[in-house]
Amino acid sequence: MTGTIVTTLNLTAIYALVALGISLTWAGLGFLNLSTGAMYAGAGYGAWLVSTNITSNVVVVLLGGIITGALLGGIVCLTVFLPLDGRSNWEVRTLTATLALSFIGANVYQWKFGPQFQQFPPLFDWLPSFRLGEALVQPNVTGTVIATTVVVTIVLAYIGASRIGLGVRALTQSIEGAALVGINRRATAFAILGVSGAFIGLAAVLLGQINFVEPNAGYGALVKGLIVALLGGLGSLRGAVIAAFMVALCEAITLQYFGGAWVLITLFLLISVVLIIRPRGIAGVLESTRA
Amino acid sequence: MSSVLEITGLEAGYGPLRVLHGINLSVGEGERVGILGLNGHGKTTMLRSIVNLVDWRSGEITLNGDSIMGASTHELARRGVVLMPQGDALFPGLTVKDNLDSGAYPGNSWKFRKERRDYVCEIFPRLGERLSQVVGTLSGGERRMCSIGRGLMSEARLYLVDEPSLGLGPGIAKGICDTLFTLDLQGGALLIAEQNRALIDGRIDRALRMHGGELMPDTGEDGGH
Repeated sequence: MTGTIVTTLNLTAIYALVALGISLTWAGLGFLNLSTGAMYAGAGYGAWLVSTNITSNVVVVLLGGIITGALLGGIVCLTVFLPLDGRSNWEVRTLTATLALSFIGANVYQWKFGPQFQQFPPLFDWLPSFRLGEALVQPNVTGTVIATTVVVTIVLAYIGASRIGLGVRALTQSIEGAALVGINRRATAFAILGVSGAFIGLAAVLLGQINFVEPNAGYGALVKGLIVALLGGLGSLRGAVIAAFMVALCEAITLQYFGGAWVLITLFLLISVVLIIRPRGIAGVLESTRA
Repeated sequence: MSSVLEITGLEAGYGPLRVLHGINLSVGEGERVGILGLNGHGKTTMLRSIVNLVDWRSGEITLNGDSIMGASTHELARRGVVLMPQGDALFPGLTVKDNLDSGAYPGNSWKFRKERRDYVCEIFPRLGERLSQVVGTLSGGERRMCSIGRGLMSEARLYLVDEPSLGLGPGIAKGICDTLFTLDLQGGALLIAEQNRALIDGRIDRALRMHGGELMPDTGEDGGH
């Protein structure tokens, strides 16, 4: 049982990061970023390059992933958002463009780094292992939970307290209202996609502790991130975190009692049931407000 | 008296629909101008076309002598054009405090947001009691107060107010208009669109009537009730 809890906490932290990235982009800019997987793999490679060429210091490697993710968010902004913003058929065009970017990314990684799997050095082995009930909590789990909590807390506190953060939050609520108070949507898009990319980059480094970095590493993260973001209610950051916990718990229980082959089946059952009961997900935007 | 706002030959609309037909208007410093007219005759479109929120427009609009036809909505907000729109365009999932502070987003206003927020809460004490409340849970009157309060959070050159009484009880509507008409414009100007003549009569410098997308002198006989 405690083993399931430990796995749940570990996966919650990682899935929440990817889903926060997807949900923030949807809420702030109104498009579903299907290049999330390419950003994930790219940030993984960025951090891997740092760890193999510069230092394996945990803070530097994490920053390597975060900064690469943020830069890739900037590229999405430059190549997808800015050219398509305000054009007709925006939803389909952005879906197509981000999907194309995803394929381009995977091919560029394949060309640049080859098909072989790359592995991070252990980043958290300086942390102690400890027992939680019957379960042995490994250092990478402790490190993942701590790093996620610290980064998400700092970023969300900044978004909650700063002028730019208010601009981001305002954009998630009303594009017209934001323009009327002087918020430049196109400039704020860089901040939104940068933060989204940073979250996804951190997830790539953390999951890189148990998975390999390879050109197609991002597709799995994209699918899980989409499941979590949809379950949480697209655009709801709080919903994304709650949904990440539910998905992680579902996955951990399925792994424990049924085996890995059943994970996607139980996840899709979970999402189907929740969306039948609450079509806007766990915490759709504005659920506590008047129409 | 120099012009804050000068509109010449303005035509505007949505898709194939032409709503405004050759609007000419000049609003001077310190002036309060009312636009009267029934719903559907173009009052809202005129205000929205000033801040570039219509599908298309032609003609010329200047702010303090500079053309603003090429300026985007957010640029105009930074240049001191504040629209308090119909429907409020608030951020329903954010608190009253956040909504008010968003009005101080442009330029240097952010540094003085606390002082401005205190000023707004003096005018609308009910907002002061609800600073931490999510705007989406406010009543219609409170939302309107918040929308107008947000507009007062920065130093504006031109206030554009669209139907402040719409959907509100007479007492609340009158209170909100009282606030608007006691604003110290400090060289700026106020343009208010309203269909309820009684709310603005005698409290503005001059009134015009919007009918069928055309602006004409107000005769006091039509265009409001």
